[in-house]
Amino acid sequence: MNRVINGLAAAISILAVFAANPAYANGEVGEHVKDLSAHIEEYSGEVRWFLDEADSIVNTYADKGASAAEPGKLVENWEAVKFHAAIETTYVPVYASIWQGIFGIHDAIDKGKPVAEVRQQQEALKQAMWQALGAVKLAAKNQAEQPVAATSTGPMDPVSTLGQIKDNLDRVVAKYAERDVDTALNLVYDTYANRFEGVEGPIIEHDAALVEDLEKDFNVVLLKQLQGSASVSDVEQTVKGMKSKIERAQSLLAEAEKNRRSVF
Amino acid sequence: MYRRSFLQTLAAVGALGAFPLTAGRALADSAAAVSVQELPPLQGDLTLYLGRGEGGLYENVLKAIRDRNPKLNLKVRTGPTAALANTIVAEAKAGIRRADLFWAVDSGAIALVAEEGKGQHLPADLVEQFDPVFRYEKWAPVTGRIRTLPFNTDRLSAERIPDSIMALPDSGLTIGWAPAYAAFQSFITAMRLLEGEQATRDWLRAMNRRAKSFAGELGVVMAAERGEVDVGLANHYYTLRLKAGKPNASVDLAFTKNDAGCLLNSSGIMALSPGDLPVNFIRYVLTREVQSYLASEAYEIPMVSGMGMPPGLPPRDSIQPPDINLTRLANLRPTLDLMRDVGVL
Repeated sequence: MNRVINGLAAAISILAVFAANPAYANGEVGEHVKDLSAHIEEYSGEVRWFLDEADSIVNTYADKGASAAEPGKLVENWEAVKFHAAIETTYVPVYASIWQGIFGIHDAIDKGKPVAEVRQQQEALKQAMWQALGAVKLAAKNQAEQPVAATSTGPMDPVSTLGQIKDNLDRVVAKYAERDVDTALNLVYDTYANRFEGVEGPIIEHDAALVEDLEKDFNVVLLKQLQGSASVSDVEQTVKGMKSKIERAQSLLAEAEKNRRSVF
Repeated sequence: MYRRSFLQTLAAVGALGAFPLTAGRALADSAAAVSVQELPPLQGDLTLYLGRGEGGLYENVLKAIRDRNPKLNLKVRTGPTAALANTIVAEAKAGIRRADLFWAVDSGAIALVAEEGKGQHLPADLVEQFDPVFRYEKWAPVTGRIRTLPFNTDRLSAERIPDSIMALPDSGLTIGWAPAYAAFQSFITAMRLLEGEQATRDWLRAMNRRAKSFAGELGVVMAAERGEVDVGLANHYYTLRLKAGKPNASVDLAFTKNDAGCLLNSSGIMALSPGDLPVNFIRYVLTREVQSYLASEAYEIPMVSGMGMPPGLPPRDSIQPPDINLTRLANLRPTLDLMRDVGVL
């Protein structure tokens, strides 16, 4: 567990202050996310309660079948807890995994799958929830050391813009896992038009094929997946590939910027 | 049917050396632009709304201006150009003015703000830095991008490409385009204004039967380079950047004459607050040094008259863009309706 959390540290320290204007699933985020440390105990209690409720739903399914299990309560419970906003605003990749786990159980029950399969989904959800709690604890520590910044309005260099594109892609997966397809699609359009197009020029000089690949990923592959009801895993794979290409672009631009001539 | 081409251009300016050229040599014919050495220091508070673009190079310009003017307290708000334009208009309606300056990556956003009666009149000496066709009362064009016809040099020569954009569908050539691209839609807007709605409709229909669609204009240029299409429609800088990274790429640029096919569109800057400080800030952006920097690093076309073209483009006086008021390109709605109507979008 500690290893997983430590591995997330660098990403969280950045994401804890991300400056996009995200749409949140459960309406208002709440003041509590501005002081995560003060709410860690509350979040921990919510995680335990949520997982107990999930266990109860799966047990009911095993004993009495799908109609008695009421898997829709999983979504209701998740939307009711404050912890939902805490993880959504700190570490989006694991937030997506939680939604994947919730709908994994929900769909398996709806389709009358064997209990063992439902338990597999439950296990995945459990892992995602504990991982998420660890991520929020780490974000709370970072937040205490360096308070959350207001929305940045300053200039942004291309390498940072590419970093923000990666964050936005994680949010695309999260929104898709949450089954909020419209928000996911809008985020792809916005990220391409308002972020990627602004930085693609200098990358072309160093690796034109890389830019062409990313243009296809943004405008064809990812959009088709989102519009065509692809699985969350498939979308995740596409985004993983895009992020890898963007990381290469970041290296290229960082190197190029060292040799940039001065203005005056 | 005379055509200009990359290689022809480079041959004609052979003294400039092999591609890519250094800015100092490529822009050696600058004359009218003012040097930063001639400008007064900037002192005081300014807030600039900056539309995102150019891979961080505008930010480099701002940093250089800050470094040169330590008594300037410059605050910058970045965002999508259209969103910032809407914000300025909304703030004005609410009786608030937060921005002293607006630097937009396209003239349409500037037009939106200017049409609302915002923006200060610019002094005559500043406006006169531009060719008459690019002189506007309330905003200054900064750098431009021109529509071009990138073509595959292994499959055809420049002479095979018509010098009228309206003749392209009947050329017998295979064509690549990216109709969903904003720059393409501005080009169609220009065609609509210059040739009329019916002619534009006919052109789109004819092209739609021949053209292969791509996700973006870099895709168009790369398809031309691979020989997947004979010729494409794209802004100039994609080809220049591709050639910068791959000098032997099988692609070259052709230009039409006096029509939307060689539309020269530009970014622009306007002062929203009165006084000398915002105007003098604009003077810094229009200096020879900044214009040269954006030409060499971003392959943008300097809009101040007398400045040279970015490396790889023909001399300014050999290109014949149409005479069109760029602020009229802001009206995209009829263009999008037309494109949807003929099934292009």
